[in-house]
Amino acid sequence: MSLQEALPDSALHSTASSVPIEHRFNPYSDNGGTILGIAGKDFAVLAGDTRNTTGYSINSRYEPKVFHVGDNVVVSANGFAADGNVLVKRLGQQIQWYHYNHNKELKLSSCARLVQHMLYGKRFFPYYVHTILAGLDEDGKGAIYSFDPVGSYEREQCRAGGAAASLIMPFLDNQVNFKNQMDPATNGTEPHPITYLSLEEVLQLVKDAFSSATERHIQVGDGLEILIVTKDGVRTEYSPLKRD
Amino acid sequence: MDTISSRFTSASAMALGNDNCNEFNPDGFLDAPSLSLPPISQPAAFLRAHTDDASNRDCTIKVNHGTTTLAFRFQGGIVVAVDSRATAGNWIASQTVKKVIEINPFLLGTMAGGAADCQYWETWLGTQCRLHELRSKERISVAAASKMLSNLVYSYKGMGLSMGTMVCGYTEREGPTIYYVDSDGTRLKGDMFCVGSGQTFAYGVLDASYKWDLSVDEALALGKRSILAATHRDAYSGGSINLYHVTQDGWVYHGNYDVGTTFWETKAKEESFNNVKVEL
Amino acid sequence: MDIVLGITTKDAVIIATSKAAVRGISILKVTDDKTRQLSDNSLMAFTGEAGDTVQFAELIQANARLYSMRNGVDLSPTAISNFTRNELANALRSRKPFQVNVLIAGFDKKTNKSSLNWIDYLAANVSLPYAAHGYASYYTLSLLDRHHKKDMNLEEGLELLKACIAELQKRIPFDFKGVYVKIVDKDGVRDLDDIE
Repeated sequence: MSLQEALPDSALHSTASSVPIEHRFNPYSDNGGTILGIAGKDFAVLAGDTRNTTGYSINSRYEPKVFHVGDNVVVSANGFAADGNVLVKRLGQQIQWYHYNHNKELKLSSCARLVQHMLYGKRFFPYYVHTILAGLDEDGKGAIYSFDPVGSYEREQCRAGGAAASLIMPFLDNQVNFKNQMDPATNGTEPHPITYLSLEEVLQLVKDAFSSATERHIQVGDGLEILIVTKDGVRTEYSPLKRD
Repeated sequence: MDTISSRFTSASAMALGNDNCNEFNPDGFLDAPSLSLPPISQPAAFLRAHTDDASNRDCTIKVNHGTTTLAFRFQGGIVVAVDSRATAGNWIASQTVKKVIEINPFLLGTMAGGAADCQYWETWLGTQCRLHELRSKERISVAAASKMLSNLVYSYKGMGLSMGTMVCGYTEREGPTIYYVDSDGTRLKGDMFCVGSGQTFAYGVLDASYKWDLSVDEALALGKRSILAATHRDAYSGGSINLYHVTQDGWVYHGNYDVGTTFWETKAKEESFNNVKVEL
Repeated sequence: MDIVLGITTKDAVIIATSKAAVRGISILKVTDDKTRQLSDNSLMAFTGEAGDTVQFAELIQANARLYSMRNGVDLSPTAISNFTRNELANALRSRKPFQVNVLIAGFDKKTNKSSLNWIDYLAANVSLPYAAHGYASYYTLSLLDRHHKKDMNLEEGLELLKACIAELQKRIPFDFKGVYVKIVDKDGVRDLDDIE
């Protein structure tokens, strides 16, 4: 008894019990899936497949990941679904609070800056997501903003994100921005002029991109949900993808 | 027990990115936003395990890296030239990145290293410069602006920020001025800097033809040609070239030049790039 | 660490190699020649693992000379390059590969053309108008891309080399103690005054 009292505390207990045992902390997972946004003259679309996976398991064949968060802004945060859901939910809440505080719509460019701050706010514990924002800018033109996991962002005409981004993005460069295409009218001497695509053309491109990605990527498939933003609001289209 | 409970209790519920984490607020930067930390004892090691592909090849989060940027002082002001490629490993994430950040009409910042770090803190620097203007009724000096940035990144030292930037600007007192600031906390005033994975290639061309007495057109052409040289030899650089000229009236944008077409134009005009065969 | 540079001109090849021999944190010698003459009209410049480099260069040198003695005719620079590549390729698949990178400068008296071959320890062999090994390539290749012209004369070639050395003196973060400059042309191999 007296011996024990004489000993310092650390000699009785191992250091492991006075300091919490820390196992390797891995809070991340990858839930697969792919998203794709294309901007047009007076519209923007943001599409995503509806499959949700971990490893080789399919958790769900219909788990939407593209959302309308208010003010004609649609967003998707693809990658780790838990982080993505939290990010989208918090963005929706921030837009609500903006309405309560200022009683006006949040501009798309401001929304993009807000997303940067939300992502960078977790710079040292990042959201494991590739985020795409779609909507109309102040002039009513279609706009796509894409973000890396820690908030660097850029406005673009089109962007694919997630598991099959590397399959879809080169296709988009060629078909939306006419990269490496020559103008047939000039007998192939001049580059193809940059023109806006119609909504019908864009929807067909999106469907082709996803059906092709489904063929070659195991994490992509089941269903395709496209959110279309025009001045009249947000409309959703669903079409099936292969379920194997 | 107290340490554990405090770790899982957030200080302020309204702060951005607060979900059940510690927060980091660097000393002396009360106006810098607070950033949340993972609830573990070694946040920097955690971040490195998940984001640094040099130390962990199958890390979960890839951050954009790889660049060539340059700025040099000459008789007619400052020329700033950059490429526009963003890479994440071998994947070209974008060919259209704006690597010159327009802090305000008299200040430019360049971007090398982590894209988000540069974009975020240089726009933050823009707000700080504006606040300085409002408080002191005078434009901030380049020295002061660059020091704000370097003090900020220094306060985060060891936590994994990655930036190599040049703060370029003109003030009546200083004239045209360039400061190099990086995430180690280095801050250097100088006449010429090239930063990024393609820096050596840019230096090669720039050093060989640089003179203080260059005309504005010559200086712009040399800046553009130096980035072109880097995009040719450094796989992590490419896309297009963005050109800026800084004068006493502020910066002037001098256009975007696609490397794909610029290369063949340059090769034909200069009869250079003789390692590239036109016919077999 | 070593600097090995080669530039072709219309009828000569210029080779520059750094004079410092560095081991660990010390410079052991400031007059180290990192070249060997392989035949009347060809020269090898080398860099790589200490010990391997000279052994390898002298192996190639001996074989090239043996060929000349047996056949009464020199191997062409192209033939020497192919032989060198083959030796490296075989070594690479042996128990102990040669870790040596080389440049082979030559003047072919049959075709009256200068040639420069870049060969690394993995036995990649490329014929190039200008070439460099190691860190020097990061600073000089862009400069050579810009200023090298087809059919330059020797004076222009040396001017270009001077610009390369000036750039290396300015930017390389250690002292390589200047370079030895050698010229390979129809008259053979000759030394040039050092460029400091």
